[in-house]
Amino acid sequence: MTPPDSAQFPDTVVLARDLSQRVPTAGGMLDILSEVGLAVKAGETLAITGASGSGKSTLLGLLAGLDHPSAGEIFLLGERLDALDEDARARLRAGRIGFVFQSFQLLPALTALENVLLPLELAGRPDARDRAAHWLDRVGLATRATHTPRQLSGGEQQRIAIARAFATDPEIVFADEPTGNLDADTGARIIELLFDLNASAHTTLILVTHDDALAARCQRRLHLVAGRAREEAVA
Amino acid sequence: MSFARLGLWLLRRERASGEWRVLLLALIIGVGSVSTTGFLGDRLKRAMSEQGASFLGADLLVTSPRPIEDWPDLAVTKSAGTASPLARSQALEFPSMLAKGDAFQLATLRAVDAAYPLRGSVRIADRPFATGTARPAQPPPGMIYVAPDLLPLLSAKMGDSVQIGEARFTIAGIVAEEPGQLGGVFGLAPRVFMRADDVAKTRVLQPGSRVTYLYQFAGDPAQLAAFGAALKPRLDSTQRLIGSREGVETLRGAFANADRYIQLTALISLLLSVAAIAIAAHRHALRHYDQAALLRCFGATTAQLRTLYAVQLLTLGLLGSLIGVAIGALMQQALALLVLPDAVTRLPSLGLAPVGAAVFSGLLALAGASLPALMRLVRVPPLRVLRRDLPPLPVAAWLSAAISGSALLLLIAWYAGNARLIGVFVGALVGLIVVLALLARLALAAGRGVQKMSHGPVRFGLAQLLRHRFDSTLQLGAFTLALFLVALLALVRSDLIAGWRQQLPPDAPNYFLINIAPAQQQSVATYLSQHHLKASALYPMVRGRLTTKNDVPIASTLPPDARDANSLRRELNLTWTATLPANNAVLAGHWHGDRRVAEISVESGMAERLHLALGDRLGFRIGDQTLAARITSIRSVKWDSMQPNFFVIFAPGQLDALPASSIASLYVPPDAASVLPSFIKMFPGITVLALDRLIANLEAVFAQIIGAIQLLLGFLLAAGMAVVIATLLASLDARQQEAVLLRTLGAQRAYLAKSLWSEFLALGLLAGLLASACAEIAMALIAQRLFELPLRLHPWLWLALPVAGALLVGLSGWLTTRHITRVPPMQSIRALN
Repeated sequence: MTPPDSAQFPDTVVLARDLSQRVPTAGGMLDILSEVGLAVKAGETLAITGASGSGKSTLLGLLAGLDHPSAGEIFLLGERLDALDEDARARLRAGRIGFVFQSFQLLPALTALENVLLPLELAGRPDARDRAAHWLDRVGLATRATHTPRQLSGGEQQRIAIARAFATDPEIVFADEPTGNLDADTGARIIELLFDLNASAHTTLILVTHDDALAARCQRRLHLVAGRAREEAVA
Repeated sequence: MSFARLGLWLLRRERASGEWRVLLLALIIGVGSVSTTGFLGDRLKRAMSEQGASFLGADLLVTSPRPIEDWPDLAVTKSAGTASPLARSQALEFPSMLAKGDAFQLATLRAVDAAYPLRGSVRIADRPFATGTARPAQPPPGMIYVAPDLLPLLSAKMGDSVQIGEARFTIAGIVAEEPGQLGGVFGLAPRVFMRADDVAKTRVLQPGSRVTYLYQFAGDPAQLAAFGAALKPRLDSTQRLIGSREGVETLRGAFANADRYIQLTALISLLLSVAAIAIAAHRHALRHYDQAALLRCFGATTAQLRTLYAVQLLTLGLLGSLIGVAIGALMQQALALLVLPDAVTRLPSLGLAPVGAAVFSGLLALAGASLPALMRLVRVPPLRVLRRDLPPLPVAAWLSAAISGSALLLLIAWYAGNARLIGVFVGALVGLIVVLALLARLALAAGRGVQKMSHGPVRFGLAQLLRHRFDSTLQLGAFTLALFLVALLALVRSDLIAGWRQQLPPDAPNYFLINIAPAQQQSVATYLSQHHLKASALYPMVRGRLTTKNDVPIASTLPPDARDANSLRRELNLTWTATLPANNAVLAGHWHGDRRVAEISVESGMAERLHLALGDRLGFRIGDQTLAARITSIRSVKWDSMQPNFFVIFAPGQLDALPASSIASLYVPPDAASVLPSFIKMFPGITVLALDRLIANLEAVFAQIIGAIQLLLGFLLAAGMAVVIATLLASLDARQQEAVLLRTLGAQRAYLAKSLWSEFLALGLLAGLLASACAEIAMALIAQRLFELPLRLHPWLWLALPVAGALLVGLSGWLTTRHITRVPPMQSIRALN
């Protein structure tokens, strides 16, 4: 399926056409993604699923503008990414895109509050500190504001990462295996939190997971098999 | 928030991180080292220039070995227009003996008129080390003012009477300060002021005596300039005209050379700190790849990241440099007390110029050491947030090398000042690094044998040392260098002078007799033989200047850099004898013997410096006469033989008619020392120079200088420790992982502690052993090549250096890594994740 042009669909926030990613390896060129097409509208939730090595994280990185494709086009928030250099893509992300990672990626030297504050400060929000405190409260960790990541459990760290992702009121949140490093119970609570916040903030959520329970919470599901995409109906 | 502020914010939150601490520490040590010498050098230079005219005691000074009768009649005696005539003052300076009872001492007498000094002041006190009052330097008739250090040497006090030549004088004051004097570093012949019109009655001066005539002028600048211009062409190369500015410049030039070498010594510590900084910066970058990737993910551009990290680096650079400067300001005072104990209070206060220089050096060193790591950091791809193994885009190796290389070269160039010194320093540095790296590798290879024989934690500890081969080589090299230089200086101080003394035959001459008048020669010889004293031959001495070679002015025959040779600038002591003196050997040509012809023999070193060869005809100016002679032999001279030695020896019959005094050396056994006071009373005009005292004085000066350099080497040791700490920190993550594994497998804390201690002790011991070997070899080379001393080994060194090395490395290593033995494995695993 080749999705239509973004100009024709102004509410499309992510649009990819014929995306391919090939990398050189010792045994010759390796196709990680082949001719993947995709259109995501504002407010939609999309799960990218597939086995290990199927190219899920590679696709997420390409859609978020963290990497270039070998072939194909990507429109992110109406901007054609291959026309932008690395720094222009970074400026596009600033304050408009949020990220949640499998390994949390909190800065160890900063407190919980400061970690949430960081993207707000980068985006130059005037009420940064209040907003950070507000979002810390939203994820239930107001009492741990002065703790550093080392003093927090994995679940608590991921909640801070989620607060950080939503704090700038982004248009899109990309999440890479957000429950991958957590036990089942904690993972379930994190999923709950992620979708609650997403619903109330009307954010587009694109997440990578191999957790069916998590994928089932999304409106749409894109399944990757050996680099090829197939949109599946959500059960 | 701007990225500059964000950089400061993150820096504040990370201030406790090990890398920042090491980086800061290394920078403080390096800047502390260069600013210590920078501050002191600046104070001394300013002391010289601020004193200006008062430094010379006049606006214009003319020195000459002979009286100058013929002055330009321009402005000295008659006034030009409205200007008053130039003020003038005349003084004589000569060495002579002062005696009181059985004590005697060589002094530098300055016989002055009532006008001296024309500028600046002489302060005379009534007791030693008092400030005194500014007064003319001319004492009342029959009285003298003496330097404070003369009193204990003569066991004299104010008001005592002392003998100079054939006259007696009363000590009427203590010289607390005089123009041109910074401090009593060289107390070889303390100063005595007397009246010019009192000189004659001492009868010390006679034809051929060594005297300097000092003519001083002060007055209107235009008049002085005209006078100087008229006078200059009339002066020969032994006479000098010095304006107050040139006087300061000359001194400053001489001082600048010494200062430069000291500064380069200090620079070595800074360069070693650069190694520590580079390692710390590299580790900092490695540990911040994730942070940089995350910031890029959040929308930071490369330029913004560059700002962020540059602000962090600049802040650390300024902080480290300023703390270093503060330490330098404290240490320079210690250095000043060590080198110039008497003058410290008279030096100007700390200047601001060295602060700028030291901060600039610190920032330059920091930039050279850390920019390559920083450049990689800002090139981290944002995709790293998803793929942790993704490295930053490579920075061209040539670019990193060019940045670091040019920063280091710029630093060296700045401190070395001229191309030759830069070349020598860089060459020596590269050579040293290669040799030390080779030695360290060899030592590590030897360590492998020891490791195989050991077991348990010791074996594990030694294995660490061998596994991190690059780190170990660097640590070993840095520490060996520091210990080696410290040891070498200690050896130079203890060995050279002691060794040289021991090498002298027990009856080597220990006194020189100078200024023996022709009429006294017979009676001196008789006196000495009556008292069974062994003296060398008496050599007549005439002072003359070498002017021409083969009838051409000699300077014009020389390449420009050889024209400034000492033997052209001053008058030479010329002698004549038919017998080749002991300790001389003819290298080329034939000794003239008792042929009474116009022939001379020249010392080989002088022949080389002045490009002289057999057959050359040299012209000399002696007083107002000129005479020429052909070189028929070139001699080697054993200068340390304690005999009267000469550059130029004439055949008999050439100089006989000229006014001459004689010189001889003499051995006075300790039990016969009481003969000397009576000798001095009998021959008051003869100068008796005690070599023992001269050597003791030189030793004291030498010890002061070495003490000062050793203080600087303290910085070098600290920089060596910083390198050890930085490299250990760089391997800390890997070590922690290993420790976790070992503890999970059941190793006890004591096992880990033992393995760490054996690693660091081995490193320190090896560095100590290598440094001992280097110091022994360097000392043997210095002693044999430069001083022809017999080979001596220093067993204590082989014990002291390894122990010192083991202690210092052990301590810095244990402090850096001790917590990895204390953290529970689970906590370590979580931290590593």
